[in-house]
Amino acid sequence: MTHVPPEEPAGPARIRPFLGVAGLGSPSADATPAGLRPFVLTSGRVDGVDPDIGLETQVTARSDGPMRTGVPVASLAPELRTIMALSAAPISVAEISARARLHLGVTRILVGDLRAAGYLDVHAREAARPDPDTILRVIRGLRAIS
Amino acid sequence: MDFVRSPEQAPPIPVKIVVAGGFGVGKTTTVGAISEISPLTTEAVMTSAGVGVDDPGQLTGKTTTTVAMDFGCVTIDRSLKLYLFGTPGQSRFGFMWDDLSHGALGALVVVDSSRLDDCYPAVDYFERARLPFVVAVNAFDGKLAHDLDEVRWALAIDERIPVVAFDARNRISVRDALLVLLDRALDDAVQGQTAQ
Repeated sequence: MTHVPPEEPAGPARIRPFLGVAGLGSPSADATPAGLRPFVLTSGRVDGVDPDIGLETQVTARSDGPMRTGVPVASLAPELRTIMALSAAPISVAEISARARLHLGVTRILVGDLRAAGYLDVHAREAARPDPDTILRVIRGLRAIS
Repeated sequence: MDFVRSPEQAPPIPVKIVVAGGFGVGKTTTVGAISEISPLTTEAVMTSAGVGVDDPGQLTGKTTTTVAMDFGCVTIDRSLKLYLFGTPGQSRFGFMWDDLSHGALGALVVVDSSRLDDCYPAVDYFERARLPFVVAVNAFDGKLAHDLDEVRWALAIDERIPVVAFDARNRISVRDALLVLLDRALDDAVQGQTAQ
């Protein structure tokens, strides 16, 4: 009852390499390690991102994923478990990144890994340019906003 | 972890609009005014960010920078969801715009009329990428430092590019600016179809 959590250092909930607001600019000495750290989760991979995985791309967890791989979600790394939990309902890659507090590049790589392993469905991008019908639907949708 | 699955939800088709502009021009305010969720922030690590677009010859070695990006969304209907991505306007983040522009409906370039040069890189980029865009001058407190014709002249943009004044804090005003953009996007898409 009397347990008081120790005061946490400034902003631990933020994404780790917290360089703050652009323009305040003091990356100086710690810029290099801060930039590298998030990619430890991806074993250092920074590219090879599946071009299907855009920021707005929708992701859903496959209920049969663990059955296919033989590895239950509970045994995955914490970040991967978080992504699986967030994807229980359709969610965008950008939203996973924000809610899991993972860098965007890291998120895309991990989502790609989970897809390759059969845990996630990635609903690939549509055509490069939206068609007139889709644009008309957006126009009608926005007009309905008041 | 227990997965309570909602009855097989089909994911919506995502569409997106890029909200670009210099620092502090009201991108996040714009996104927040229309989004049905309070804007979320994601961060991306940029490598080689020190390479200027204007001066590709000056490679000063790799640097890393973290760029924050705010975004929100509007559910259009059961199968269509609009995302709005607010992105920093500096040219050194230009390559992030490739990702953002891919498949985008268009871009809203938010401008503070007293600091016009902040938006040059964004305008240049979207012109070159042939992405439909609208210059939206954020009227802070209902006042513009320059009128819209002066803004158009200063930016030297094509006559067909709409320049509108709007209030980033006002939902209807943001909606109307987006509708101007979508009209442009629709024109482009229809022309693109007939050209094929």
